[in-house]
Amino acid sequence: MNEREQTSEPILRGEGLRKVYPDGAVDALRGVSIAAAVGESVAVVGPSGCGKTTLLHLLGGLDEPTAGEVFHKGQPLSRIDRDRYRAREIGFVFQSFHLLPTLSAVENVQVPMFETDWSPRERAKRAEALVEQVGMAHRRNHPPARLSVGERQRIAIARALANEPSILLADEPTGNLDSHTQDDILRLLGDFRRNKGLTLIIVTHSSEVAAAADRIVRMRDGLVVVEA
Amino acid sequence: MHFSTLIFRNLFRRRARTLLTAAGLAVAIAAVLDLVGVAWNFQRAFTSLYQGKGIDLIVARAGVANQLSSTLDQKLGERLRGFQGVADVAASMVDVVGFEEAHIAGALINGWESGSLLFRGTHVLEGRMFGPDEDKVAMLGRVLALNLGKTVGDTVGVAGEPFQVVAVHESDSLFESGGLIIPLKSLQHLMGREGQVTGFVIQAEPSDPKSVSDLQRRIESEIPGVAATQARDQVARDMQLRLAMVMAWSTTALAILLGSVGVLNTMLMTVFERTGEIGVLRALGWKRRRVMSMILGESLCLGVLGALIGMVLAFVGMRCILLMPTARGFIDPNIPGPVLGLGLLLGFVLSVLGGVYPAIRAAALDPSEALRHE
Repeated sequence: MNEREQTSEPILRGEGLRKVYPDGAVDALRGVSIAAAVGESVAVVGPSGCGKTTLLHLLGGLDEPTAGEVFHKGQPLSRIDRDRYRAREIGFVFQSFHLLPTLSAVENVQVPMFETDWSPRERAKRAEALVEQVGMAHRRNHPPARLSVGERQRIAIARALANEPSILLADEPTGNLDSHTQDDILRLLGDFRRNKGLTLIIVTHSSEVAAAADRIVRMRDGLVVVEA
Repeated sequence: MHFSTLIFRNLFRRRARTLLTAAGLAVAIAAVLDLVGVAWNFQRAFTSLYQGKGIDLIVARAGVANQLSSTLDQKLGERLRGFQGVADVAASMVDVVGFEEAHIAGALINGWESGSLLFRGTHVLEGRMFGPDEDKVAMLGRVLALNLGKTVGDTVGVAGEPFQVVAVHESDSLFESGGLIIPLKSLQHLMGREGQVTGFVIQAEPSDPKSVSDLQRRIESEIPGVAATQARDQVARDMQLRLAMVMAWSTTALAILLGSVGVLNTMLMTVFERTGEIGVLRALGWKRRRVMSMILGESLCLGVLGALIGMVLAFVGMRCILLMPTARGFIDPNIPGPVLGLGLLLGFVLSVLGGVYPAIRAAALDPSEALRHE
């Protein structure tokens, strides 16, 4: 059963987003508007360099738009603590996993939890539960170097869910995986979305990944060209 | 997992670099501990030289840098005894002699009169004190006796003349334990300075600071060419001691500079190498403050590690210094507690100085930019 009710009210919305990098040479986004409802999955597709990752960074509060605004539950990000927003509301999944090499799988899952009020014992308990949910309990004490790429992405997903976010932002989460592992990861993301009522925005080159989403946003040259 | 676990693991991600940086810090801290330790013990030995004997004033030739180069007429003692407020006066001659056969380049030799107040704080471990009419007899300090391998009844050559050892003594001051005491007349003869002394010590009565200051002023105004110094000021005025302290603190300043540059270099490299990782941590919601804490924490651990290794090196270094003939009997090999505390403080200061800028730089990284770096 969904923990968060699916409604048509957007939980995350970007209005007229523009991003020009400081050197002025790259106009990465040229007025993009996008919205995602609670529990919805949106795939952002398009050729390399079209601004997908920049859009994801703006939506995730990692960067500020040159113009336009991102709203979370109707609140503009420019008026809220973006660190707190990222820590509590957003889970990031990256193409290259970005696990800390010196920590074990279960310790990696605890890394975002340092920004919560949970005690070390509570953090460990929650991390153990998440590792089990992604089917990695048997590899919990292994360092990332001793995990397969699919296993690493499972741990990265558990880490993204560590602080119980409402939105999961995934940047090419299956880009480094073979097709079999890609299916596993997509199934896992789909299960979490359904069970936890997560909103999923996924940047991808893969048509299979995009096809699994509720909605596809196609971008080109910093603009949204098609929404389907 | 505790936050500190993450810090320790990061620190040992590049073990060789961490250990080399800590070793660099350790050498700097050890040098400081040894130099400050030696100067500190020197000062303590010098202070106990007077305070342990209840001496209030030291009278020497005005304008001399230290008592060794002072010369006064021994008859001046009677004149000093006549001053109101003087309870006791003792004449003293002090010099330095070498014992080549034992590879001792210099040991303090004191010429004192039998029964003098200067014998206070001198504990005879073996044998007896010399009497008023004795000549060519010596009381060896414990450390010197050990270094020379001599004991009561043996003969020891002092400046080319044989002296019979009548006692082995221990003193509150290392200078005396590392040296020897012979009758004043014997030393005057040995040095060809009959009727002369290097100075006098005075016990005042009453001995409150005001009365001692008053006595000091009267002596200086009534006897031209002499300087009366209060015991507590004598230490501060000694040129060699001041030089030792200046050298120790100059080394400390240099160690702080070099050590903090070492830590700065290592931590900057760490931040540069881990730019992408810092971006990930910021993406995961870490606040700037937490990134700063992580980098500063790593830097502090480096400092503490360097300080601990530095303390061990300092102990080893002190033992090595004692292998040098010139140091025997003059250097107390123990590093005092407050000086060890200085080592820890130095480790802390160096790590903070070297870690602050990299920590600020890491915290200031734009997360999106840092992720692109990856």
